[in-house]
Amino acid sequence: MLALLVVLSLLLLTAYFGEASGGRLHGLQRTFLSVVSPIQDGANKALKPVRDVFEWFGETIHAKGQRDELRRQIDKLRPQLVAAQAERRQYQQLLSLYHLNQLGVSDYHPVAATVVAKSPNIWYSTVTIDKGTPDGVRVNDPVINGEGLVGKVVAVEADGAQVDLITDSSMGVSARIGSSNATGIVQPKVGEPNDLLMQYLPANYRPNKGEYVVTSGSVGGADDSLYPPGLMIGQVTSVNEESAYTSVNVHPIADLHNLDVVEVLTAASGSRASNLSRVIANLPAGRSASAPAQGEQLASTGGGGG
Amino acid sequence: MSAWPPAGLVWRVAALSLVVVFFQIGVVSEVPLFGANADLTPLLVAFVGLLGGSMLGAVTGFAVGLLVDLTLLQTLGLTSLVFTLIGYWSGRLRELRDPQAALTPLIVGCLASATALVGYSLMEFLLGVDAPVSFDLLRQIVLGTLVNTIVALPFWLVVRRLLEGALPEDPRRRRRRRAYTTGGLSPLSKAT
Repeated sequence: MLALLVVLSLLLLTAYFGEASGGRLHGLQRTFLSVVSPIQDGANKALKPVRDVFEWFGETIHAKGQRDELRRQIDKLRPQLVAAQAERRQYQQLLSLYHLNQLGVSDYHPVAATVVAKSPNIWYSTVTIDKGTPDGVRVNDPVINGEGLVGKVVAVEADGAQVDLITDSSMGVSARIGSSNATGIVQPKVGEPNDLLMQYLPANYRPNKGEYVVTSGSVGGADDSLYPPGLMIGQVTSVNEESAYTSVNVHPIADLHNLDVVEVLTAASGSRASNLSRVIANLPAGRSASAPAQGEQLASTGGGGG
Repeated sequence: MSAWPPAGLVWRVAALSLVVVFFQIGVVSEVPLFGANADLTPLLVAFVGLLGGSMLGAVTGFAVGLLVDLTLLQTLGLTSLVFTLIGYWSGRLRELRDPQAALTPLIVGCLASATALVGYSLMEFLLGVDAPVSFDLLRQIVLGTLVNTIVALPFWLVVRRLLEGALPEDPRRRRRRRAYTTGGLSPLSKAT
């Protein structure tokens, strides 16, 4: 019987393999298929729910595998994303600084520095930078970033310096609003360390909301910094009229929470800015000095005055 | 070769073969498992041979193979040849050894699947199919055998359940049972 079946199989095989596609056995196969097709179709439809159940199990297992693989990929890519974001932020800050330098700040011999430490409390009123005395950084040097004024140097070491931000309670910056001549002092707002208050504006002066507050290029005393005129500080958010003079609330333009790269305006020895700094430092203690003319003069030559 | 099986068993095997072939084509072939598809047809042929003997195994193998070749428009006679041998060898295993171990269906299923996959591939190569012996082909053979081995045991239970009412009583088993129940093989009975 076995031999018979094997021989039959071999005969079928040989005949089928040897004949053309239009041969009898091929025809028989097609006829069989046309008979079986409706049954097969019906069986397919009837068995679809069973197939779906099996497929659901298979796809679930496959999806779990894919999920795990994707999670691994996310874990792998996350550090790269963080690094890329940090690089991008740094690049944007450097680009802004470059644009600022094009506007005349370069006369102050800016030294690019990286912020290496920030005050650990939520106020972020001081930061530490990686440039110090060998780089020409001195106490009271203004510190800026691409957006505007950031603060001033308060302590210098050989390998770094500490910078007080404009929101620090010890800070006071001579400023003016927009293109007007109305000047005042910008200080941190009590109780709101992320906002500033510009005081001592003329009583009859009414600035508009949204106007820009910039450095005036004047100093308030020997311990003040020589900020170049026209550096962006913030925007007027509201006007207070409760006292003899007008004061305005100012929101800082610079994002002081995300400082990565800054520039210290070192005013190299022999430069006009440096000479003015020396003059200011020699002023009698307690005497206030205002030098708008010098500021204007320096501004017109691309420098700054205090 | 064993005697021709009873008609009841033949009908049951024929019905089961039809259902399994269509279930294989309609469902099992479309559900991949670990990257391969299970193939119930060689398992069916092997289990029918294991339960019904070499004659029934060989004829079932031929018929199932022919049905598969006709339905799937494959080279006529190819699957028949491979399945005939599988069915016959499974039947001979039962007739000569009658293995009773619980893992017998698993081993038979594994061997039948491997034989089917390797035999089919060899035949295709002999017929001149223009394809290289690639790592993928070997992987598919190994995976297919593995998947079939996994489903062999549950499928064996189904096949045995459906056929056992129609299976003829094996004279050797009858003798063995009688020997145990009458004490024919007991050392005590021999001593007396």
